[in-house]
Amino acid sequence: MNYIKTINIFVLFGLLLCGTAFSQQKNLYHVPPASAVKGADLVVSASLIDIANPIEAVLYYKTPLSDSFLEIPFENKGFSWEAVIPKFAISDIGLEYVIVFRFRNDRILSYPRIDPFNNPYSIQVIDDPTKQRSKISNDKAEIIILSPDIGEIVDPNEVFIAASFFLVEDIDRSSVRLLLNKNDKTSDIIFEDDIISFAPNALSNGDYIVEILMTNKKGENLPPFSWGFTIGNKAEKSKDFVSYKGGISNRLSSEAISGSILNIAEIQGKFDMDVNWAQMNIVSRATSRETPYLQPQNRFGGKFSFGNFLKVSFGDFYPRMNEFMVDGKRVRGLELKTDFKWVKFDFMQGEISRAVQEQQFVDGGYRLNNNLTTKNIDGSTTYYIDRSGYTFKRNVVGAKISTDLFDRFKFGVHLMSVRDDTNSVNLKLTDAKFSSDSLVSGITPGDYTFAAFSGAITATGNQLDIKPNNWSGKKPHDNLMFGFNFGTSFDDKKLDFDFDWNLSLYNRNIWGGAMSKTNLDTALDDTLDGYIGQQYDELGNLLDGDAISIDQIPFDPEALKDIFIINSNMTPLVPFDINSSPLSGLINMPSSAFRFSLKGNYTNSKILIEYRQIGPEYDTLGNPFRRNNTRQFTISDRASFLKNKLFINFGFKHLDNKILRTTINPLNTNTFFVNFNFIPGPGLPSYAVSLQSIGKNNEKTKLDSVGGSIIDLREDSNISNNMLAVTVPIQSNSISHNITLNMGNITNLDNLASRRSVGYLFPKTDSRTISLNIASEFSNVFNTINQVSQTKLDIPVVSSNTLQKTSYVWTNVSSTANYRLIENRILLKGTLTLIDSKSQIRSQLVGLRGGIDYNFRSNLTASLISFVRINYIRNNNGQSYEEGFDLNSSGIIFNINYNFNNENTPS
Amino acid sequence: MINSIYIRKLIVVAPLLFSITIAGEKIAIVTKIIGKAEYIRENNAPENLKRGFIIESGDEIATQKGAFVAIVFIDDRSALKIREKSKIALNGKKSAKKISKRINLNSGTIRAQVKTGKDFLVQTSVSVASVKGTDFWVISDDKIGDSIIGLEGLVTLSNRISGEKIDIKPGITCISSSDGSLQTFRSDPKNIPKDLFENAGQNNKLEIIFKDSIGKQKKLIIDYK
Repeated sequence: MNYIKTINIFVLFGLLLCGTAFSQQKNLYHVPPASAVKGADLVVSASLIDIANPIEAVLYYKTPLSDSFLEIPFENKGFSWEAVIPKFAISDIGLEYVIVFRFRNDRILSYPRIDPFNNPYSIQVIDDPTKQRSKISNDKAEIIILSPDIGEIVDPNEVFIAASFFLVEDIDRSSVRLLLNKNDKTSDIIFEDDIISFAPNALSNGDYIVEILMTNKKGENLPPFSWGFTIGNKAEKSKDFVSYKGGISNRLSSEAISGSILNIAEIQGKFDMDVNWAQMNIVSRATSRETPYLQPQNRFGGKFSFGNFLKVSFGDFYPRMNEFMVDGKRVRGLELKTDFKWVKFDFMQGEISRAVQEQQFVDGGYRLNNNLTTKNIDGSTTYYIDRSGYTFKRNVVGAKISTDLFDRFKFGVHLMSVRDDTNSVNLKLTDAKFSSDSLVSGITPGDYTFAAFSGAITATGNQLDIKPNNWSGKKPHDNLMFGFNFGTSFDDKKLDFDFDWNLSLYNRNIWGGAMSKTNLDTALDDTLDGYIGQQYDELGNLLDGDAISIDQIPFDPEALKDIFIINSNMTPLVPFDINSSPLSGLINMPSSAFRFSLKGNYTNSKILIEYRQIGPEYDTLGNPFRRNNTRQFTISDRASFLKNKLFINFGFKHLDNKILRTTINPLNTNTFFVNFNFIPGPGLPSYAVSLQSIGKNNEKTKLDSVGGSIIDLREDSNISNNMLAVTVPIQSNSISHNITLNMGNITNLDNLASRRSVGYLFPKTDSRTISLNIASEFSNVFNTINQVSQTKLDIPVVSSNTLQKTSYVWTNVSSTANYRLIENRILLKGTLTLIDSKSQIRSQLVGLRGGIDYNFRSNLTASLISFVRINYIRNNNGQSYEEGFDLNSSGIIFNINYNFNNENTPS
Repeated sequence: MINSIYIRKLIVVAPLLFSITIAGEKIAIVTKIIGKAEYIRENNAPENLKRGFIIESGDEIATQKGAFVAIVFIDDRSALKIREKSKIALNGKKSAKKISKRINLNSGTIRAQVKTGKDFLVQTSVSVASVKGTDFWVISDDKIGDSIIGLEGLVTLSNRISGEKIDIKPGITCISSSDGSLQTFRSDPKNIPKDLFENAGQNNKLEIIFKDSIGKQKKLIIDYK
């Protein structure tokens, strides 16, 4: 499990490197909590500014000593996203976390921005201030009850009374007296070192009070210390054969963002049942966002686990079969996982996306395709309607078999097929409207349904037809992937070697079905000559060029149509370079992806050496956002010093796209990085420093000529990306503060600046950020968080043929207060935010959020939050923006949560 | 010259004095016992363990078939439950406000219910479990290695052979093998050892029924540990 998570993390890690630091800076807004309180859940929040909701928002956390991350999802709380790190994970040794927001189009935002999984954010863990106060105010509690426990029911023959004075100071030991139900038993006690004990003889059933009396060394009486227990027969308790727990929560929200109103109602449920030999987990979500025009927004999924050898998932599940095939993408169907220790077998079948028939707008189901219009012999015209706005149902089936011999040698093979179902989209739609223009003679331009338009066309003596297939909308795809992996370990399993190789076959249009060998012959040329791509001159003489003999294809593509559809839309048509040497051809296959890594896991050092290559034609519909055409070499080490108080992570990465021999000007990216994390201990300041240098060049030395003009496509630049974070805890009287200072900058340097023309635009943005966060705990019912931050971007523009930098400055001030009432049953919370944006346009954004949480019972809570953001644009001296206020966004969110279980219910 | 001899003597004697000092420190007490168990102090012959016995640092405890022993540490009420056929050594170093505890589990099964702090260590020949306010079982088996079953809180488990470390959550079992590997999986309730003194240190509920002058009943429920 942890291995899978580790793989997943490295996948994300790789993707994160591809993200742009600038966009992360702009859109993901997170101020780390100053500290975590031991024994209390930690709420981590992040905000997204001017960006759509993510498809996945996850917080990864771990202790500094652990190798792998645990993960929890973020929840949308209206103004911000929140994730709760459970209290059991918050211990003295500290906490590390990473925030990852994943969006469509392979966009990922993270915190920290730089190399997050190798440089997670570290926070200190402090003791609960409320507990510290109780110790101070209640000295008598310094006596520790050893036996029996408070309220314990004790068998008459097992009564043994003991208490520890280990923490008690300044008492006169000779003054200590022990009373049992007001009877002085001092003469029977044993007071040895710090332990007072008493073993009474034959006590009758009933309630008893132990009382310890004592004086200090000045002879003053100290408050008596007492506790009670019961003598009697113990009630036998037995665990329920079936235990269950679950929860139901709902969310009602109404939000207005930039004039658009969004009302959402959701109900979510989860149910876990354990019958000792098997477990069942069910999760579901029903939302008003569900619509037939989009992919499913509702969720329903479950998992049955039978011991450790069989797991069956159904409904919505998120398979992680292989990072190059499918890695967490939602599938609706069935998954089977078996583990017989020596042999493991995984199988899944389902759909990655469901069929969507049309979109809810004109031309969203049908559209008039004028390109197909034909004149008939009788002089009439046939017009054609084409399908649009649809999505094919995308089926997936995959299997993996693997073995782990002697816990030393791992080997596995895997296969996955993803294919669009062309029969899943209906040809005929009843209500779809499409527009007709003046090109249709005799028909008034406007919006029509098929029936209405057909009638109108017929009335003019013309015909209307529907294109039966090969529609101009999305093309149906087919994707087949297979591969293998093996691994072993050395040096007493401290050093792991892993190799993973995969091949993908991809067809971008399977409308026509599979081709025969004869069809292949004429796929790229018109000559039926037994060769694919053979060219001839006008006289029929053979021209030089790469051609593939039909005889070289050892199978009939049509016979394989149930596995993979081969036709001229397959890319690449031949997956390997037949002109390369066998080894080079195999390694550099454009449709292959592989990686090998050597990971050292030593006590104070974790070393990684890895090479990974994803060919330009490697595609997987199971993970369509994976970046291809990359080669990456990484060497890094994460070392710990000073009893894990100081962590230094350093390394080098090289990334390029020089896989194909035809790549003339590859883009090389070399990254050197070093991160320091120094956490001396609770109550002490902690420091984090991150330094990163990224060099990019594309090996171009000359200018290019395009269409008669000269353009400069040379790339030779350096990016310096640095970050400093300091956290200082301060205790002042009974108020505790945690002050966090974050500073970061990104500076770009064009190494060719002196050789560029004057008007050349070097399109890299410099940025600087600084933030100061003060979290104050005034009492156990009142706390505040105040923050000031500023982000400055210097965006290059060319004006009057000279390069200039336009500054954009965002200054943010926010203040949050939380106040608890009526023994924590009510929590009042409020946030005031002011964002000042200074660029060519000057504007201010004022945000106010207020809410209340009410605990009806320990398992039933309700929450109401409302927020409003008002934008003010100043006089912008002739710019096209109107001065004044406008409502940027507002909303109200209502939640109810109910949890249940039978774990405390006696049978 | 005199100083040199003095220093040499001090070097030889100091660890001895230190070990004597440590060995004599009283760190815990036996609060419950079922069946037969023995303790060994220093190099003396084994003697029967009894309820109320005060454990000193360095004491070894061995339980026989059917036995079960509960021990409570005197600084923070952390408890140790020792199942049958187990052999452990308890070491502790006192400081002003706490005792740094190190439990050597030679064989058998123990449950550690740790109340506070980071100064609680359970180690076997294969593994080291560092503990932070948690509750877990450790089963030391020569054949399959150590099994650590998380019940509450977080246990950081380190395999002494490979140096690999992992955090164990409640409901998770980790097997630490003599080949250096760490494997985690969801705990099978069947494999969780039975605690014969389950209530000790656990959440309890006390219900007191009050009646007013007109006979109306009200119930006061007190949850406590």
